[in-house]
Amino acid sequence: MSTDPVRLTPGRLVRDSEIRLWIYQHFVDTGRAPSPVEIAAHFQLTPSEIEDRLRRLQDEADALVLLPGSHHIWMAEPFSAVPTSFLVRSGTRQWWGNCVWDALAILALVGTDGSVFTACPHSGQPLVVSATKGSLEGAQGIVHFAVPAHEWWRDIGFT
Amino acid sequence: MLLFRSEDDILAWCEQRHMTPGAVFDLARLWSLATVWYDDRLNSAWRRRTIPERQAILDAVGLTGSFWRLTDS
Repeated sequence: MSTDPVRLTPGRLVRDSEIRLWIYQHFVDTGRAPSPVEIAAHFQLTPSEIEDRLRRLQDEADALVLLPGSHHIWMAEPFSAVPTSFLVRSGTRQWWGNCVWDALAILALVGTDGSVFTACPHSGQPLVVSATKGSLEGAQGIVHFAVPAHEWWRDIGFT
Repeated sequence: MLLFRSEDDILAWCEQRHMTPGAVFDLARLWSLATVWYDDRLNSAWRRRTIPERQAILDAVGLTGSFWRLTDS
C-alpha cells in the first residue's frame, strides 16, 4: 500500500494527517463521527481511497479504531462514535466518551465547561461530574481501572 | 474505566464478576490525567506518543507501580 499522499487537485495533496485532523474537528463541532462517504466527499477521494486511508490511520498511525468489519469510525480517542454510558454535555453540544477518563478528556480537549453524565455500574446511582474553568466541581464518585496498563490496548472495547 | 459511587460498590461489583479489583483513585487524579493524555489530538502534527512518553505522563500524575507499567517486561 502506498504511503504517498493522494493528489486532490493539481498541486493539492491530501495527507493522512489532514484527514485525521478533519475527523477530530468533525467530532468537536458536531459530536459525531463523519461517515466514510462524508470524508470521501470532503476530500474528493473515492470511497475505496478513503477506506484505505482510514485503515491506514487505524493500522499504521494508531489514530483511530474502526468498527470491526467495517470502515466506519468507532473511536477517535477520547471520542466515541457510538453512544456509551458516558455522555458529555456543554450547553447545547454533546459527545460520547469511551470511558470516564475519555469523557473528562473531551471537556479538556474541547476546552469548555461542561458535565459528564454516567451511573454507578453497581448501584445504578446517577453520577455527574462537572468541569468549570479547568477545574472539577462537586465531583461525585471514585474511579476503578479494572485492566492493568500493559493490557489496555489488547481489547480496547473492554478497557 | 468506570466511575462508581463508592469503594464498597467497586468491591461488590468485582465480587459479582469474580474479578480482582484493579486500581482505585479519585476524580481529581483522573482529571489531572485526562487534561494531558489527549491534549495533542487537535494538533496537525499529532503522532502517537511513544510508550516512554506515555509512561512519563502516568508517572507525572502519580500513577506508578506495576499496575501502571505500559509494558509487561
